[in-house]
Amino acid sequence: MTARLLVCALALLAGCQGKAPPAGIQGDPARGRVALAQHACRACHMIPGVTGPETYVGRSLADLAEQRFIAGSLPNTQANLVRWIRNPQAIDPQTAMPAMGVSERDALDMSAWLLAPN
Amino acid sequence: MPSNRTRLILKTAAATLVLAGLAAAAIGALVLRTGVYDTTATSQHLQPVHTLLELGMHYSVRNHASEVAVPPLGAPQQVKQGAAVYAAHCAQCHGGPGSAQAKIGQSMQPLPGPLVDASARWRPRELYWITKHGIKMSGMPAWQFHLSDADLWAVVSFMGVLPTLSARDYAQATGRANVAETPASAPTTAGAAQ
Repeated sequence: MTARLLVCALALLAGCQGKAPPAGIQGDPARGRVALAQHACRACHMIPGVTGPETYVGRSLADLAEQRFIAGSLPNTQANLVRWIRNPQAIDPQTAMPAMGVSERDALDMSAWLLAPN
Repeated sequence: MPSNRTRLILKTAAATLVLAGLAAAAIGALVLRTGVYDTTATSQHLQPVHTLLELGMHYSVRNHASEVAVPPLGAPQQVKQGAAVYAAHCAQCHGGPGSAQAKIGQSMQPLPGPLVDASARWRPRELYWITKHGIKMSGMPAWQFHLSDADLWAVVSFMGVLPTLSARDYAQATGRANVAETPASAPTTAGAAQ
């Protein structure tokens, strides 16, 4: 009985770790979640599923999938989000968001996590 | 002399506490010895753990910094000096507006936060205290044996000005443009040469 409960609890925990990517979204959201932490995104942005402090240096990314535009000007598609993550200053030269040296694959996986519904 | 009934209740309570303590210690020892706890920097703290540790750190800094005497801050020369210290020692892990931290600062656990909001979160004497003494188990080093007291206060002074700087202002103040290194998958030296 206890063992069964434990297995259920573990399965639940595991369920929290993996999001199913919505249709049309490429990349690996679970890997993207780790990449978001490893490229320090969480230092400035609050991101669902990524642990960190309460911060308002950048906007919260909790509802990014619902947003129509990124950076105030780019239509919110996965390809545009990848472009923005990899080189924000190429899109908005005034932005305070730095390019973090993110590879194409990492940016794709990160965007898959961010665009998956919470 | 308490009645037999009271003595039985007290004995039972004491025995329960001892047994519960022993069981907790045994479980703790088991978790420790089996090595199931994941110490990698890619595994995150649970959010409540992170929040609790951060809260404890806040209270500790507030308490220990309460007696620090603050010198005059904000003179242009001091801010300029602070910007140089910041660029040399802080930016590698904390970055700045429009300027990425180096890879070492990107992948630490816990993440070194940006400092544009530091002066909104902390009093100057607390920022001085953190910079001088560091933060245990966080990766934040103590700078007191590496920087002069004047430099420590100068960097606190610069952090007061930091929230008013745009990415361009910051690059001018520190002489630091975006230092993000190229992605690991891309060629690093050959690409620059071509």
